[in-house]
Amino acid sequence: MDEAAQAQELVRYILQEIIHRPGTELTPDSPLVSSGLIDSFALVDILVKVEDVTNLRIPAGKIQAKDMDTVNLMLATAKRVGKPRKSK
Amino acid sequence: MTPAIHYALAFLLVCGGALASRRIPKQVLLLAASYMFYSAWGTGFLVILAASSFLNFVFGELLRRRQTLPRLWAGVIANVGLLCFFKYLPALAGGSPDDLIHRIVMPAGMSFWTFQALSYLFDVYHEEEIEPSLLEFLLYMSFWPTVLMGPVCRLPNMLPQFRKVHRLSVTDVTAGLRLIAIGLWMKLILAQFLGAALSRAVEMEAVWGGVDVWLIAIGFGFQLFFDFAGYSNVVIGAARFFGFEIEQNFDAPYLSTTPSMFWAKWHMSLSSWIRDYVFVPMATRRRDLWWRFFAVAFSMVLFGLWHGATVAFLLWGTYHGMLLVLHRVGQQYQRRIGVMMDGRIGSFLSWLLTFLSISLGWVLFRTNDLHQALTMLKAVVTPARYADFVLPVDYYRVVLTVVIGYFGFAVLSGSSALREKIEHILMPVPGNANAVRRLMHFSWENRWWWVAPMLVVNVIAAALIVMSQSARVTPFIYTLF
Repeated sequence: MDEAAQAQELVRYILQEIIHRPGTELTPDSPLVSSGLIDSFALVDILVKVEDVTNLRIPAGKIQAKDMDTVNLMLATAKRVGKPRKSK
Repeated sequence: MTPAIHYALAFLLVCGGALASRRIPKQVLLLAASYMFYSAWGTGFLVILAASSFLNFVFGELLRRRQTLPRLWAGVIANVGLLCFFKYLPALAGGSPDDLIHRIVMPAGMSFWTFQALSYLFDVYHEEEIEPSLLEFLLYMSFWPTVLMGPVCRLPNMLPQFRKVHRLSVTDVTAGLRLIAIGLWMKLILAQFLGAALSRAVEMEAVWGGVDVWLIAIGFGFQLFFDFAGYSNVVIGAARFFGFEIEQNFDAPYLSTTPSMFWAKWHMSLSSWIRDYVFVPMATRRRDLWWRFFAVAFSMVLFGLWHGATVAFLLWGTYHGMLLVLHRVGQQYQRRIGVMMDGRIGSFLSWLLTFLSISLGWVLFRTNDLHQALTMLKAVVTPARYADFVLPVDYYRVVLTVVIGYFGFAVLSGSSALREKIEHILMPVPGNANAVRRLMHFSWENRWWWVAPMLVVNVIAAALIVMSQSARVTPFIYTLF
């Protein structure tokens, strides 16, 4: 999956599984945390999804909410601090 | 030197810092102002603050060279240990009040500046690109607007501002005055009225009825909000006056429609600190849902204990942890059965439930001891007690006036229709506006030039009346923490 496809998949996930509000529009650059659109619980759900989509493991303690404010920031953060997942 | 002289000298130094046209002299003057201001609370306190600042700077340098967990933990343990020594040890130690341990006094604002130091260490560990000089770091730790009661700042936000040479600007001065005026109004009028009425109510030692307890809880919640949000507005405004932008600490928390939204809007500098440095790193460690619930409960217990080592704060934090978990479980259940609380009625019910749950929690925060808290909570859950009304009618009047007034104001000021109507009246017709309409429009556009000084004068006059009637102004509640 290339980065654009990853971003689209995350946008879809956030709209369908997290926000649940019909009519909400979201782009990969829409602020999520700072706009109050998602709460801390949702942030963790999304982080888990980011790991699945990117196939990277994001070390706990290496991220802050501001690194997760938009889908594009999430992907950039995953790329910066993420490590390849060990195959099971 | 009396505290008044300390404050006067600090003010002169701040003005000097504002006028300095070069970076280093500006930082030196601001640090001198901050230390002068802080030493009004005790020279010993200043020594501890300076030592802690220096120690954390060294830890930061060590971490920057090698970002290892042992180095991070060493810094965390040193900070938490120092905080525990001053804040928790005297509270937990038994024995006679004359014992040496009970003579330990916590330096003013220590809970706030220790958390600032910790955020710096975490940020360096997270490879945040911040490299303060020793002077800049000392200033960050002691910055005069925030050193006593926050907001808890972060170095990445403050450092660029310390490095920029500001010129006093009309925008900053008016924005600062506006915040100071609003803050003083909240503290000296609203919190003061509520506080005076509440003290009399809580000290009554009566057998309160169910409605009495709700009114005490709601009244205290609003007193705390006006007190701390008012203080935050004053310091954010004072900093803004001199060109420094500090992020807001409260964002209409009582309009929240969920507990998690409330915690994103109440004491935001501390709640975001706990979210960023405790909850998110902890919750992402495992994927199990129970672990996430445990992480949120743990974070809220920590939030409670940050206020002090008492069983009441422990229970208050646990209560909010449970509330957040229950809200999350409820959300998931709603989604599963396909029933959503959308629309106006749903939002109203959601808001009401959130407001009442948050308010009930204030019982634990305000009461003098656990026994009193349990007595009050018992009254809330006993239907027969709703027929008893013990509190004086005056208390009901004060609380209801303030609460209804607050929500009325919030609804009206949030109404875009009303704002558009006012702007339509004041907006001059292009090329056709008479002098009066133009003056009205100009006055509206630049209203904080005249509204802010008017409010300040108004507040001082009202405060003088309040003080003369109720002997003294209640101290800020958060000085206790």
